[in-house]
Amino acid sequence: MTAPRHVFRWDLDKTYLRTEFDSLGDLVKSAIENAADKQAYPGATSLLRALRAGEGHRVCIISGSPSQMRTVLAAKLRLDGVEFDEFVLKNNLKNILRGRFRALRAQVPYKLPALLESRGGSPPAPAETLFGDDAEADAIIYCLYADVVAGRVPLADLERVLAAARAYPDEITRTLRAAERAPKGDVVRRVIIHLDRRSPPAGFRRFGPRLVPVYNYFQAALVLYADRLLDARQVLFIAFEMLDSRQYQLAILANSLQDLMRRNRFVQDEALRLADEVRAIALATPATLARPDLPPFDEIARAFTDRVRELKGARPLPWPTSPPPLDYVALVDEEHLHRRDRRRRGHA
Amino acid sequence: MQRIVVDAMGGDHAPEEIVKGAAEASLALADAEIILVGDAAALGALLPSLRHDGARVRVHHASQTIEMDEKPAEAIAAKPDASIVVAAELVAAGEGDALVSAGNTGASVLACARRWRLLPGVRRAALASVYPTELRRGDKNDPFSLILDVGATIDASADDLVTFAIMGSAYAGLVSRNRRPRVALLSNGTEAGKGPQAVVAAHQLLLEATELNFIGNVEGLDIPRGVADVIVCNGFVGNVVLKMLEGVSETVVRLARYAHKEKLTWRLGLMALSSALSQLKAVTDWQQYGGAPLLGFEHLFIKAHGRSSAPAVTNAIKVAAKAHAGDLCGHIARGVADVAARRRPPGGPGEAPT
Repeated sequence: MTAPRHVFRWDLDKTYLRTEFDSLGDLVKSAIENAADKQAYPGATSLLRALRAGEGHRVCIISGSPSQMRTVLAAKLRLDGVEFDEFVLKNNLKNILRGRFRALRAQVPYKLPALLESRGGSPPAPAETLFGDDAEADAIIYCLYADVVAGRVPLADLERVLAAARAYPDEITRTLRAAERAPKGDVVRRVIIHLDRRSPPAGFRRFGPRLVPVYNYFQAALVLYADRLLDARQVLFIAFEMLDSRQYQLAILANSLQDLMRRNRFVQDEALRLADEVRAIALATPATLARPDLPPFDEIARAFTDRVRELKGARPLPWPTSPPPLDYVALVDEEHLHRRDRRRRGHA
Repeated sequence: MQRIVVDAMGGDHAPEEIVKGAAEASLALADAEIILVGDAAALGALLPSLRHDGARVRVHHASQTIEMDEKPAEAIAAKPDASIVVAAELVAAGEGDALVSAGNTGASVLACARRWRLLPGVRRAALASVYPTELRRGDKNDPFSLILDVGATIDASADDLVTFAIMGSAYAGLVSRNRRPRVALLSNGTEAGKGPQAVVAAHQLLLEATELNFIGNVEGLDIPRGVADVIVCNGFVGNVVLKMLEGVSETVVRLARYAHKEKLTWRLGLMALSSALSQLKAVTDWQQYGGAPLLGFEHLFIKAHGRSSAPAVTNAIKVAAKAHAGDLCGHIARGVADVAARRRPPGGPGEAPT
């Protein structure tokens, strides 16, 4: 088995799939839905396909959905034409049978070892990009994973974090073992957090420049374009899927680009390079291939350059390039309190 | 999609409260784009700290700001890149559908007047204001009546007053969901012949040439009672009336404060009434209403109160989106054209041969 060049790790619920689990009713509905009823976020399918198509690219899906849903979730991914190399789900039935009710909701004690074992279970990739959302603790877990595999978190510290995350003793043992075995390296290049709850992006500044909160998958595509993981044509395909969904218009995509620029997560030169490449695609594409229901390429390029011009070179918000090391115990405690508050307010 | 242009630098609490209000509107309005005009660096620094939909908010840089106390004409001449000027230009250029500002009223109205065209058949624009009344109206049980004009046009002819009535009725019908708003002319007596010549002539025209729910003339004391849903007058009278009503409200509050300090029995009386007064305050809270519309142009301008906080800005944006979605300007244009057609003599120009 040859080592992949780049691994893309995806969460499913609220990252790829538009899943509601704010109430018990939502949870039940999500559990009984069939594959065709499940909805992916506009652009996510094209993005996943484009990433998987890259040479040496590997897609690993690690979700907190119960493993009993594997058949329906796999069927949904097949329906969408999404191929994957690994698909890990949470064995909640086992947790229930063992009376480990805390583990049903726990995120860190489930996802962190799953990520570490995934990295340890196949030839290590020199680069990884992780996709999650703001509904759970994905930002914390992904940054912790990145720091653990980079060797920046001693095992004793990791043990304290796991204890703060209310992990059962055997989960702590399993995670520490996986951390020891996982091939080391500063490999996590990018963490993309889908702002499903529309959390303020500034709340993620403490995680540093590697993490980019995004409102939609066009923004994710722009970040990966700047990271040289997607080309302009692939970005356009993602944009077209979003326009096709009728939930997005060209103006909204152009605003998405401008929003990233204002947050200093996509620089002006990249925006102009993209617009130039889109114009070049327009010239090379016969008019007969254009879809009449979608905006022409040159109109797309113009919308992007207009949004850049509207800022008139205003200085973007500085994003901390080297923030202080993260205090994961405090972050886990904070997340725990936040989740408890949400439950009190009537959310699952 | 509604594209609402917001002057982000106008208002006593700009840009912070304006941006907060716009951020909230980006989440509340499912199909809207909010275009914030102002210092892009400042706006870009504020937005990430707020819950909002970044894809529905667009920033257009403007390097200058007109302060609340500046003289409108001088300020507009001296500051061509002021946020309100750029915002009005964006709407004129078709980049936006409606404009919202909490900034300098005179400068805002002037910026619109210089860049926007009046609707066909409309000779003068009118600024409308809302006033809390005893009676309520419409599907929303709205406690506010609409008074126009309150200062855009100092002197108005009978035709202008009829146009104001059409504009006010269209606005009340759409925003207050009031199917047949009661329209009245403000005069010094309820009789048809009372008042200056323009009012008398307008009375006759409203009866004969429109299908508005015209209830005749009302006097000043009928305004707070809520006898009419739309009260029509020229800008000079409207402005005096509005300022007087505001003055009366402020005096009542000052008297209550005085009473609170002066005597224990009065204080106890006020305390006994406190929950009712709070309820009254909540019902008549102008922040809920959004702002005052400037009517008569091809585009809509909502002038939010200078002291507007974020909820008032959100509501002003919602009102602008609602008015645009309901084609307010189209309603007004059709209403004005209808009246013109009724007044055309039979066989005159434009009359189809029979």
